[in-house]
Order: sequence, then structure tokens, then C-alpha cells
Amino acid sequence: MLATIEFLNIVLPVLYLFTFVVYAYDFFAEKNLLTNSKRIFLFITLFVHIFYLLLRTMEYDHTPITNKFEIFSLLAFSICFSYFILELLTDIRGTGLFIIFFSVVFQTVSTFFIEHDYAVPDVLRNRLLGLHVISALLGYSGITISAVYGVLFLILYKNLKASKFGLIFNRLPSLEILEKLSFYSLVIGFALLSVAITIGVIWLPSAFPNFSYTDPKIIGTAIVWFVYGTGIVSKLFANWYGKKVIIFSLSGFVFAILSLIFTSTLANTFHSFY
Amino acid sequence: MNFLSITINHKTAPIELREALHLSRNEIVDFIPVLKNELSEGVVISTCNRTEIFGLPKNDNFNSNSLVSSLLEFKPVKEIKPENFVKYFSCGAVKHLFSVSAGIDSLIIGDSQILGQVKEAYEISEDLNFTGTILSRLFDSAVKVGKRSISETGIGEGAVTVSYAAVQVVEKIFANLDKKSALIIGAGETAELAAVHLHDKGVEKITISNRTIERAEKLAEKIHGEIIPFQFLKEHLHNFDIIISATSSDNFILTKEDIIPAVKKRKGSPVVIMDIAVPRDVEPEVKKIDNVFYHDMDSLKIIVDQNLLKRRNEIPIVEKIIMEEMVSFFGWYNALEVVPTIKSLREFFDEIRSDELEKIRNKISDDDYAKIEDMTRRMIGRILHNPTVKLREVAESGANLQKLTSNTILLKELFALDKNRTNNNSQKESKDNH
Repeated sequence: MLATIEFLNIVLPVLYLFTFVVYAYDFFAEKNLLTNSKRIFLFITLFVHIFYLLLRTMEYDHTPITNKFEIFSLLAFSICFSYFILELLTDIRGTGLFIIFFSVVFQTVSTFFIEHDYAVPDVLRNRLLGLHVISALLGYSGITISAVYGVLFLILYKNLKASKFGLIFNRLPSLEILEKLSFYSLVIGFALLSVAITIGVIWLPSAFPNFSYTDPKIIGTAIVWFVYGTGIVSKLFANWYGKKVIIFSLSGFVFAILSLIFTSTLANTFHSFY
Repeated sequence: MNFLSITINHKTAPIELREALHLSRNEIVDFIPVLKNELSEGVVISTCNRTEIFGLPKNDNFNSNSLVSSLLEFKPVKEIKPENFVKYFSCGAVKHLFSVSAGIDSLIIGDSQILGQVKEAYEISEDLNFTGTILSRLFDSAVKVGKRSISETGIGEGAVTVSYAAVQVVEKIFANLDKKSALIIGAGETAELAAVHLHDKGVEKITISNRTIERAEKLAEKIHGEIIPFQFLKEHLHNFDIIISATSSDNFILTKEDIIPAVKKRKGSPVVIMDIAVPRDVEPEVKKIDNVFYHDMDSLKIIVDQNLLKRRNEIPIVEKIIMEEMVSFFGWYNALEVVPTIKSLREFFDEIRSDELEKIRNKISDDDYAKIEDMTRRMIGRILHNPTVKLREVAESGANLQKLTSNTILLKELFALDKNRTNNNSQKESKDNH
């Protein structure tokens, strides 16, 4: 089984890169030759990836969240999987390349640095932690996708304002759709982050004797959650539109990333396992 | 093949002459009996950009100039000169018809209306019994070329008029046009075109505002829209997601100061302003306002030019389709020419078979006769299968007409088909007379 895991570990970035190239070709060539088939490549990649994650779970007897590079692989999967679901639901196929790019990066880094023989602390074998991390990752995937659509919205917005009718104008969906995609992925991301926070609040105090609600990571996450929550409520109840919503969403994403970097590297937190 | 086409179009004559020669449906119906004197089958296509006569002459010594004279006698246009007409014959005429139906011969390349006009023209001739097997097959192929060009190439894609380009930009901003409201300022030809495009795209609420209220009412009625009196226009701006202005005003109708309060009332909800008037109706400064997408003729022309270039790049692919359909059509047509020979050959063998069967009819039992009859039928079928298939193949390929002719002549000479057919027919006739 280990040989298969090692083999799939090498195959996965190749598959992601290939899928990315197919999506990029379809976007730039403007010939719609691969419009239908590219989704099949994405499905195959995701299928192989989920098989790889299951093999790892069985082989090592824990969910693949015990080191940064397992997390990266899971993040690559969750970003692409979230996009795949979004593409299936909306049938908007022209934006995949901008999202699959993140999966290519995360999976490539994971493939190069992941280890196949390592000791795992008992706390990381806990199933609730698995749920906590997976929901958090899916949540962050949601807000990442939301940010990508936000950036695409701003690019198309600027192109339209400047009367530039090139590739971006021809290939991207309308501003209204980009705004909706950004908002829907944000709402899904927010919901999953809420699940992750809820599980964390229930489980962490019992798992860690030095647990504290003033921990920088908990405060940072709570602020991110509050920022996104405010944005969603404003959009729904104060009728915010277009650029305003997108800028709010992008600001939330930047804050979330900075908060993650700060709490993972600079701050002293009990909430650090790797 | 003696198929011919006579055309006057945007490449050969100015619009005044084309318009003067344009034939309405009723005129075509009246003109076809005139054409019947000279053509055995024919179709007349007449649009604002072209008048075309396609047909098969009754006689081999037919003079195409007489067809032009007939047309000009029917609809006299003094200024027209002979050089305004172009004539195509045989393959050239077929290729021209296919190019017309594919839209690559149109003033606006990839024009989507022409295919419908070709179909309609054929139907008129069909109703007047002016079409036969050849023209029926030819126009079927022409329609097929048109449909294939649309589905297999990008010849009809993208906006190629300013008013349609405006709608294309609107579609890049809003997803569901059926939930949007539009204001059309002006009620002239351009405004009407834009209103019709928006209506076709499903915009739910279209309102017209024009200085002359009667014209606004007329256009509103056409697209099931509403009207706003011109003097109250600025008070209602915030109610519209799309504003298209196409008046002949010399001054700005809408300024930045008019738009700012409207945008504020819309709480940042985007508004698209399309200024398709010359001189412009809307102050260009409005493009600096957040969530206002302003486009004028110059910016929309960029889209039109890009799309026209894309369509031009598709012409070689369309021409390939035309060639494929021409090969298919001429394969069918050439096969028509060998059909009588094949038929004669089969009849010749069948007659020998019948004669020989007749000789033994009273010498054997009915059962044996039936068996021998069946056996000889199969035998002749097998003997003639290969020559028939080969002859058809040579004909359908259309590649070697000389070979086809020599094969046909050889068959006729070897089996004395012409002589045989004549003798047998005269024998039959004399039997019938007795």
C-alpha cells in the first residue's frame, strides 16, 4: 500500500497540472474544443486524490491532517472539490483555471515535502479534530474561491469601465454571476468555518489543559468569522451590491490570511501542532 | 450541368440600384411566370442587398442576357448597367448559391437572415411548381450548408452591429436580463433596433422616452413597453438598470450631475449607459462614477470590429463546408446521368432472361419454373452488381468525367443498349398496336 501511496503522491501534481493546462487551453484558445471534456479530467484528478487520501488514512490510521504537507494536500483537494461542485451547480466553466492553480501549488509543495514515515502525537488521531480541521479547510477553500471570484470581478469591472473588450471580456461570465459565485462560496465557506469553530469550542477545552479563549488563533479566527458574518448580513439586509461586496470579501480574505500567518508563525499559541 | 445564376448585390451595385430592383414577394410571384418561358426550374431571391435568379435553362443555346432583359422589363430601373449583373454557370453558380446561404457573400459576413430568405424564395418557387428534382436537391444542399456553417463554425457569432454590441456589453454586466429594466431615449431607427434586441433578450420592462411622444408611443407599442414624457426623464433615471440613448440631439441629454443622484438612489446597484448617438447624448464624464458602465459608439465599434475580424477568419472553414457539400451534390448529380445507362443494362439482361424463361415455360413444372426464375434473377443481380456499383462510384466521385463517359459509351456499345432499347420499344409498340 505504501508503494501505491508514494506512486499517487507523484502522480497527483501531474494530474493537477494537466487539468490546469486543459482549463487554461480552453480559456485562452476560445475554441470551446475542451469545454465538456475538461470537467472529466477534473473529476479523474479528484477521484485519484480522494483515493490517495483514503489510502493514507487507512495506512497511517488517522485522517491526513497531522502535518503541514498533509494539510496542503487536503487543501488542494478541498479547493478543487469545492470548485467542481460549484461548476456542476452553476454550469459556469470558464473560471476553473484561476482556482485549480491554487491546487497545483498546494499539491506540488505537498508532494515534494511530505514524509511517509513519521510519529504522530495521540491528540492528532482524535476524530473530532479530524472533523474540526476538515471543516476549517473546506471553509478556507470557500473563502479562497470567493476571493478568486472577487479578483476576477474587479478585473472584469476595470476592463468594462476602460472599454477593453479582450480575452477577459470574452471568456469570463458576467459581473453579476461573478458576484454571485463569490458570495455563494463565501456563504458556504462561512458556514463551514462556523462548524469548525463550534467543534473547536466543544472539543479543545477538554483536549488541551492550557486552553484559553484569549489565545491569538482563537481571537484571530473569531475576528475573521465576525468580518465575514458582517459582510453577509450587510449584503442580505442592507442590499449591498457589486464592487462594495467584493471589496469587503477581499478585505476579509486578506485579513484571514494575515491572521493565519501571524498566529501560525509569530504568536505564541497552544493551537499549534506542527 | 447547365445551372446558372444571375446576381446583382452589394458588391456589384450601389444601394439605390439594389433597392430599386428589389422584388417583393408578390412581385416574385408575378415574375416567375415570365421566367418559366426561359427556365425549366428557377428560384428568385430578393433582399435589400441582393436580387438573384437561379435556374436551369430550357434550351442549350440559352442566352443569359435575355434573362437580365426579362428582369429589367418586369421591373425597369434606368440607371442599371450590364456590369451591375454578375453571371455564374454550372459549378460556379452552385458555389455562389452555397456562399449566399452560408452568409459569406453577405454585406455583413455571417448574416443570419439570409438562410431564411433562401428557404422562403425556394418555397415560393415550389408553390408555383417552378422547382424539380435538381433544384430541390440543390436548395436542400444550400440550406444544409447554411445550417452547418452556423453550427460548425463561428461565422454567425458575436455582435456585428453597434446596437447588438451594446446588448452584448449589457450581458457582460447583468446575468438575468429578464429581471432588468431598460430605458430607451429616442425613437429613431437605432433606438428601435436596440429596443428590439433588448426585448428579444428578454428584458422585462422597457420604457421609451422621446421628445415627440407619438413616436415613443409607437415604439412602445411595438415592444410592449411603457413611455415616460421626455421632460420627466431625469426624475426616473434611478429606476433603470440599462439606459440606451440614441437621439439626434446636438447637446448632452444626460450629464454627470443627472447620473450621480440616480446612482445614489440605487445604493450602488450597477447601471449601464449606452450612448449610441452621434453626436453623443450623455456626458462621457459619467464613466468616472463607480458602478456606472458608460459606452459610446467608439467603444462599441471596437467590439463590432473584433467580431467582424473573427467572422472573416472563419470563412476558410465555411468554404471547406461548401466544397464538401458541392462534392456531395455533384456526386448525386453525376449519378443521375448514369442512371439511364444502368437502367437500360438491367432491362437488357432482364429481357434476355424473360425470353429464355419463356422458352422453357411449358417444358417444366410450375415449381421448377419458379425455382429457375428465382435462380436466374439472383444470377443476373450478381452479374450486374459490380458494374453498377463501379459506374455509380465513378459518377459520384465526380473526379473523372472522361472515364465516366467512356465507361458509359463502352457499356452501350458492348450491349448495343441504345439500339436494343429502340428495337425492343418499337417491337412492344407494334405488339400493342396489334
